[in-house]
Amino acid sequence: MAHRRQENHPASILAVAVASWLAPGAGYFLLGEKKRAIIIFVTIVLTLCTGLYIGSIGVINFKGPAALYVKAAQIMNPPIVLILGRYTAAGAYPVHGWPSEIGQIYTMTSGLLNLLCIVNAVYLAHLRETKPTGG
Amino acid sequence: MSVIAACILASFTAPENIGTTPQSMLWLLPLAAAIAVIYKATKVQTIIAEKFTKEAVVLFGSIIVFITVTALALHALAWLITE
Repeated sequence: MAHRRQENHPASILAVAVASWLAPGAGYFLLGEKKRAIIIFVTIVLTLCTGLYIGSIGVINFKGPAALYVKAAQIMNPPIVLILGRYTAAGAYPVHGWPSEIGQIYTMTSGLLNLLCIVNAVYLAHLRETKPTGG
Repeated sequence: MSVIAACILASFTAPENIGTTPQSMLWLLPLAAAIAVIYKATKVQTIIAEKFTKEAVVLFGSIIVFITVTALALHALAWLITE
């Protein structure tokens, strides 16, 4: 089966990916999946906020001693973590022990779930842009 | 900024006091719920409240049962080795 790709295909996919990263679920919103977008937004934001509440904003510290995979997973969260990272870089919000561990796990998980949603939204956009023409 | 908003923001600047107790393991429950909801939100074709809730609850239960069984197996193994 032949497929026809629309001219704005890469641009629209990029828009979905960027929107998904800027706000969880925004990519689905652009695709018209409003219920899905709301569920994803609420769940990811709640997970991130729970992690920040348990461990304080100190768990987001890109210049701290945390492992690279922790920082890589956290950076998949919406860009607010980059702003938080600037505030916490000086080490003004120290956090240790269980609260740090649990806070990191929550913020990492919310980041990885956001990555899953970005990839899934991009795939959905790709499927919708690639329309079968037959022949 | 109102006092309530300031208090809410301030609560994010100091960590909670969580001890290394068995009860602290309960913090996995909201995380498992979030994973179940997001996974199902990306997988189901159409979001229908009743069906979606049922599938998310089933996945949440599966995760908890698997974690519990794994914990019990590891606990039994540790007991066998140390006793």
